[in-house]
Amino acid sequence: MNFDTRGFSALTRKATELMWETADVPTLLKSRLGEQHELTRAAGEMVASIETFVRELRSFDASAEPVTTDTYQDL
Amino acid sequence: MYIPEADFEYLIRTLSEARSRATELAVSIGSRLGSEHQLTQLANAAASNIENTLRDIRNAAAQKQDSAPGLVDLHGALQAGTEKVPQTPVPVPMTLAFASPAGLDSEHWLHAFVDELVAQARSMGGMSFERAERLLQLRKDEFLRDFLTARRMYRTYPHLFPEIADETRQVSTL
Repeated sequence: MNFDTRGFSALTRKATELMWETADVPTLLKSRLGEQHELTRAAGEMVASIETFVRELRSFDASAEPVTTDTYQDL
Repeated sequence: MYIPEADFEYLIRTLSEARSRATELAVSIGSRLGSEHQLTQLANAAASNIENTLRDIRNAAAQKQDSAPGLVDLHGALQAGTEKVPQTPVPVPMTLAFASPAGLDSEHWLHAFVDELVAQARSMGGMSFERAERLLQLRKDEFLRDFLTARRMYRTYPHLFPEIADETRQVSTL
């Protein structure tokens, strides 16, 4: 199945910035509320899900073939 | 277990921006790959987790606000300051009178705010809720700007703030 992979570098960059911006949220909550607090755990799960998303997005972006390749092959 | 108001402000602002970004990313990826693709689902999951955390933080902030002592101290201090005006026209004694019962540091933002509020009330012969809200918002914006700058400094150059790092380590080991 062919996907439109154009612009994925920009999306990967934005997702990485999102990961950086939220990285200190669990640390802050942990320092204020402790490791076992519900809010700290929720923030930890949030950051983990963002990291998983960014890792998969990077992997997809690195392995994706440009759409233009298909176009040239069709010619 | 205590979260200062400034931390709540920082968390809510950070997570609100993160939610917007994550939603935008999920929509962009979904439009390219389809809603069933794994990446779209991961993006949606991340956005959903951010949304949930933001809601929990907002709830915690609201609960803290409900349980806070409120503006009673501030009102009392302002009244005390106003009553003292005929005897003490210089604003410094009023600040000290406010600082002592409230138990706040002399550099606390509330002092500057109250000083400014009373000074404007004097010079304009009164004070409206709207003007007081504007002054408070200005003070809040200024505080947040300084706070965010300080946080970025700490995140970028943590080795320059060894005493904060030590404090954080101590708290986390409790």
